[in-house]
Amino acid sequence: MRQYPHWPIHLILLFVSALMLVPFIWVLKTSLSGENIFSYPPALFPRDPHLFYYVDVWYTIPFLRYLVNSAVVSVIVVAANIVFNSMAGYALTRNFPAKRAMILLFLSCMMIPFQVTIIPAYLITKKLALLNSYLGMALPVCSTIICIFVFKASFEAIPKSLIDAARIDGLPEWRIVLRILLPLSKSAIATNVILAFIWSWNNFLWPLVIIRDQEMQTLPLGLSRFLTVVEDTTGALYAFCIMVLLPGLILFLLAQKEFIAGLTTGAAKG
Amino acid sequence: MAWLRNRYPLTLGSIAALAISWNIYVALNNDGIITGRAVTADQQPVGGATVVLSERSLLVAVPKGRATTNEKGEFRFTGHTLHHLYLEAHKEGGGRMPPKEFRLYFKGQNLFLEKPLVLEESK
Repeated sequence: MRQYPHWPIHLILLFVSALMLVPFIWVLKTSLSGENIFSYPPALFPRDPHLFYYVDVWYTIPFLRYLVNSAVVSVIVVAANIVFNSMAGYALTRNFPAKRAMILLFLSCMMIPFQVTIIPAYLITKKLALLNSYLGMALPVCSTIICIFVFKASFEAIPKSLIDAARIDGLPEWRIVLRILLPLSKSAIATNVILAFIWSWNNFLWPLVIIRDQEMQTLPLGLSRFLTVVEDTTGALYAFCIMVLLPGLILFLLAQKEFIAGLTTGAAKG
Repeated sequence: MAWLRNRYPLTLGSIAALAISWNIYVALNNDGIITGRAVTADQQPVGGATVVLSERSLLVAVPKGRATTNEKGEFRFTGHTLHHLYLEAHKEGGGRMPPKEFRLYFKGQNLFLEKPLVLEESK
């Protein structure tokens, strides 16, 4: 087979990667210097960088409070996603009547945007007396269909003989999931953790609808409040963006290997 | 102890260590002390000048403290709780220095001015 040189592809990939990094570098640069994109002459690196915009953010709004609120909601969402999605994913690997219809129902539900269901979601949360609470903020994203299918694909990749052996040994179904399947599905767990965390962390609309108390606001709501408080928003606003982005970025970089493996599990049979 | 070499405890531990170190540094340096000197344009100390510490919003400057320089031109503020402040100095018949901005990394950070405040005769 004829071997083609790799360098043209690498060059294109390098260029595309650099292009995709430009917005992030721009945000980072502005947060360190306050120069906006229109400053002339344009520069890739900040002139006279400093961290004072980060200090402004820290003291202008109750950043720590928002951070704690976001973290609590994200922890609830991540934990609930792993529990509920693994159970649902396992159920979908078993045979039961109308399994195909159930999968079709799940897939069709993925096409309904959250904005459409926001009023019934609000009414249910109100009935449960969970308005203005952490659990109320977490509730709609406690299980996500994409993550159920990630678990399903991961569980299907595990040899059936292992599950049969566990069943012969007398393990109940929930312990098969807990003791056999989950320890062998670390990549699916990592994918669930990252996706659930990012969705919960960036969630703006739902907390905006159900949160009334300023003390219960999360970081995305804090960002919108920040815009109304600070008059010169250029540097401080971008510093706020970096501070909101950072936890998700760290988590993604830490678990990216498992995340990619989790997304590609079951992609190829063989 | 192999788990210590794992990237998760290593990263989270580093962040925790950084946060603890920073908080210790803040606790040791947040007495709210500002010291400096006021001099004339030819670097002569200005005694009896008034130095005003203020905080600014979009519209107004809010004075937060006043100090008078001694015969060596030195002044000192204690117990300020600002992270973004302005210092200005003036002396009757001895000139003035317009408000100068100072930004700090935390509220009440001690500030020891290396460059003196220079009072100039108004033209």
